[in-house]
Amino acid sequence: MTTNKTGKQNWGMVVDVDKCTGCQACVLACQSENNVPINTQERFERGRAISWIRVERYWEGNYPDVKARFIPIMCQHCENAPCEPVCPVYATYHNSEGLNVQVYNRCVGTRYCANGCPFTVRFFNYWEPVWPESFRNHLNPDVTVRSRGIMEKCSFCVQRIRRGVRTAKKENRDLIDGEIQTACSQACPTSALVFGDLNDNNSAVSKMKHDERTYKLLPHLNLDQNVVYLAKVDPEKKIESHSVESGSHD
Amino acid sequence: MQPKLEKKKNTSNNWLKILIPVLAIGGLSVFAVLGAFVAFIITAWWGQPIPVMGFEQTFEQPIHFPHTVHASVKELDHVSTDGTPMTGLGMDCTFCHRTVTTQPNAGVPSVGLCTTCHKVIGSKDSTELTKLRESGGLLDAASSPINWKRVHRLPDHVRFVHESHITYLMQNPNKIKNSSSGVTEGAAGVCSTCHGDVASMEQVKQVEALKMGQCVDCHRDNGAPTDCVVCHH
Repeated sequence: MTTNKTGKQNWGMVVDVDKCTGCQACVLACQSENNVPINTQERFERGRAISWIRVERYWEGNYPDVKARFIPIMCQHCENAPCEPVCPVYATYHNSEGLNVQVYNRCVGTRYCANGCPFTVRFFNYWEPVWPESFRNHLNPDVTVRSRGIMEKCSFCVQRIRRGVRTAKKENRDLIDGEIQTACSQACPTSALVFGDLNDNNSAVSKMKHDERTYKLLPHLNLDQNVVYLAKVDPEKKIESHSVESGSHD
Repeated sequence: MQPKLEKKKNTSNNWLKILIPVLAIGGLSVFAVLGAFVAFIITAWWGQPIPVMGFEQTFEQPIHFPHTVHASVKELDHVSTDGTPMTGLGMDCTFCHRTVTTQPNAGVPSVGLCTTCHKVIGSKDSTELTKLRESGGLLDAASSPINWKRVHRLPDHVRFVHESHITYLMQNPNKIKNSSSGVTEGAAGVCSTCHGDVASMEQVKQVEALKMGQCVDCHRDNGAPTDCVVCHH
């Protein structure tokens, strides 16, 4: 299964909430892949912690029949992104591959984009990032270390996309579906996160996208996100919904 | 009352006579300093900064490594220890900068690679070679790598990949600029486009400004992507 030629992709992700166990492996993988600064307790308390992907936990049902639910949230790479038109310096824009791009060296730190984002997945660097001395050689050389005063967010591991495109070009071939993986999708033990090209009808994400469980976050905002969620399967509710559905068809 | 007033007038005049030239010279010097500062900023913005106060493009390296001796194919200025004229060895750039055709970074050779030859080759009295041999390289566990000074440095927010640029230039030799007087075949023949004729430099200096405008111009001319995120991520 080969995807379209380089530059014609529309990168997207499908998150199967049913498979997510809330293990936070994606959070850790993202942090080490993208040189995200270490969050201290103080930063959490002040609401200034940086985490490009987070696993939100919520409870369903009443005691004693309570269920923990998890949903990973990262930048949704909206086609109609609210963060893009508010930037006065074009530091964030939509590129031809469907990525919502943050250009660090253009950013002047107005934080308008973070205020505009309904998912709160944009993070401002309130401090110069500091790592312990032992971490010096652990930083990813392919990713810029963001300095104080600029915005950052999930980039769909664009450094991995570039590397994949480069390798494909060198070997004079098209990209193969599944060849490029983001750090979070690679780390996910249950493959709840799947990354790929939405323009390619044969890719794994395209097939999953047409599942009946598909939904997008905050649909009333008409953001046309590139991140698609698959709803949690609830065995108790399934029979109920099935009967309703079959009833309407009759 | 009258003489008192006259006296006061005289003193104020004397004071002005000193003050005016002091102010004039002071003003001119402030203007000169400001002018030099603005000139520095403008040159640094458009090309390479004026080589003052540590902004030189050539550095004295910890070991005086002559690229001429290793990479050039021409006859050299200096003579060997036994008095015979020397010719450059014409070594390929990739012999030392080994990862340049396969990885983003060019790579600086380990001391071990240098000592492969220089354990034996080269005068025993040479101060520069003594420095190299004493640093030991891979053969000595207590040694530290040589702290070469970096000449070509891109800002931290730029990701440059040597590999793909070299591959492209090897396929399109008509795009090569400043062609080298040293090795011109293979991967080494294309380095001069950005690095200048390194084979003829005793100490390497930055020739091209390597500003973003230069990158973008070349990308436009060659149909390479000009999306920001290609280099800035």
